[in-house]
Amino acid sequence: MNVLEVKNLCKKYPSFTLDNVSFTVPEGSVTGFIGRNGAGKSTTLKSILGLVHPDSGEAVFFGKNFTEHEREIKQEIGYVSGGSFFYPNKPIKAVTAVTRRFYENWDDSLFKSYMEKFSLDENKTQSQLSEGMKIKYSLTLALSHHAKLLILDEPTSGLDPISRDELLDIFIELSREGTTILFSTHITSDLERFADGIIYIRGGRIADQDTLSGFTDRYKAVKLTEAEFGSADKALLIGCKPAKTGYTAITLSKNADKLPGEISPADLETIMIHLEKVEQFHS
Amino acid sequence: MKDLIYKEFKLALHPTSVIFLTFAAMLLIPSYPYYTAFFYSGLGIFFTCLTGRENHDIYYTCLLPVSKADVVKARIVYAVIFQIIQVIICIPVILIKLSLNIPANAAGMEANAAFLGLALIMLGLFNLTFFTSFYKNILKIGKPFLVSGIITFTYIFAVEAMCHIVPFFRDILDNTDKNFILQRITVLIIGIICYILLTLAACKKSVNNFIKQDL
Repeated sequence: MNVLEVKNLCKKYPSFTLDNVSFTVPEGSVTGFIGRNGAGKSTTLKSILGLVHPDSGEAVFFGKNFTEHEREIKQEIGYVSGGSFFYPNKPIKAVTAVTRRFYENWDDSLFKSYMEKFSLDENKTQSQLSEGMKIKYSLTLALSHHAKLLILDEPTSGLDPISRDELLDIFIELSREGTTILFSTHITSDLERFADGIIYIRGGRIADQDTLSGFTDRYKAVKLTEAEFGSADKALLIGCKPAKTGYTAITLSKNADKLPGEISPADLETIMIHLEKVEQFHS
Repeated sequence: MKDLIYKEFKLALHPTSVIFLTFAAMLLIPSYPYYTAFFYSGLGIFFTCLTGRENHDIYYTCLLPVSKADVVKARIVYAVIFQIIQVIICIPVILIKLSLNIPANAAGMEANAAFLGLALIMLGLFNLTFFTSFYKNILKIGKPFLVSGIITFTYIFAVEAMCHIVPFFRDILDNTDKNFILQRITVLIIGIICYILLTLAACKKSVNNFIKQDL
């Protein structure tokens, strides 16, 4: 069963278009939503949450159309966004006191357990917290009403490696408990630790949706010297770009043995970087 | 809706909104343009919206399990609560002023029932112009306040001018003569009706503007 189905979402801005975006998020999965800055990740998430008014298309959560069942759907989802915090100068307990009133399934004991687990002091304001702790507080709010779907919009951006790692551990724990997670990020290495599926958006269009292994197994990383590059079949190279010595590219796994140079498994970051280069290379 | 209004008072409320309520006491000043006291209530609402923008209030509220329409309605109800409280505070202030036999207001209209009715129309105009403009683009808070300021001050000048030019305003509304109390109460009732209609129109148009807006 799909927890979220996005169907033909379109939104036209003067300088950017979200073009027919469709994807699904299966129940119990961790789905990475990747793309470079400005690719349309946040616009997509805002559109499905009703913050942006799409020109056409729909978002269906738990089998219900968002526009028609907005309030009940929002009861079932938790949203955490990195770098966007509300009422930073109010004590945490004041923000919590307000937030809890809106959720039918708010669980005070669960809230307290997360506050303790994350070492959060409810007498502090969010402005007194580190970036990592702010995210943990947002996550605590999102989890304390038993959200069935967590939507994470760049939650690890701007965090130091230790804080990022701590947060990822929490997300892994949540996914093991069966929480469905849609994780939007441009830091693709975060996803390699625990994502089941990948949705890749590029220039406002869904360029690919597959399982993580399906996505990474499809490509190989290629490292070529100047001489190897000269003899290589350029049509097989995807997103070729100059490196310190020679060139790097990716290629479809089935073509890997037809190319010279050093061939290795491709990680998400390598794949995304080179796929983003495709237009530039061919032009 | 009650939870959203709770949120308005617990998180969004700007302290000046409460302080400005005490400005109803300005009606005790012997000679003063009394409409100014009501202008401050608009300033309090402006400050609430301004700090709301800095605190990402609308973004926070829209992510809660509420509709975008309710977000707008709650803010307007919040404003209406302050406006009505201020009008209610004005009633004993006016009665105290009358009991003190303070000389007639040389700087503007007398504080009486008709004045409250006309002030309510002013508040209704503020709601209509400020909120409909604010909910077109929540990031541009200065323009709605400027537009509503121009409209309300134009209205104040027009009413004050009529108190000098139009005989009904000059001789019946702009004094405390008990013989014309019925006419002044009628103006108060008209003011209440206009306030309700203008605020309902503000609510409807603001909701429509906000739903179309991308956050």
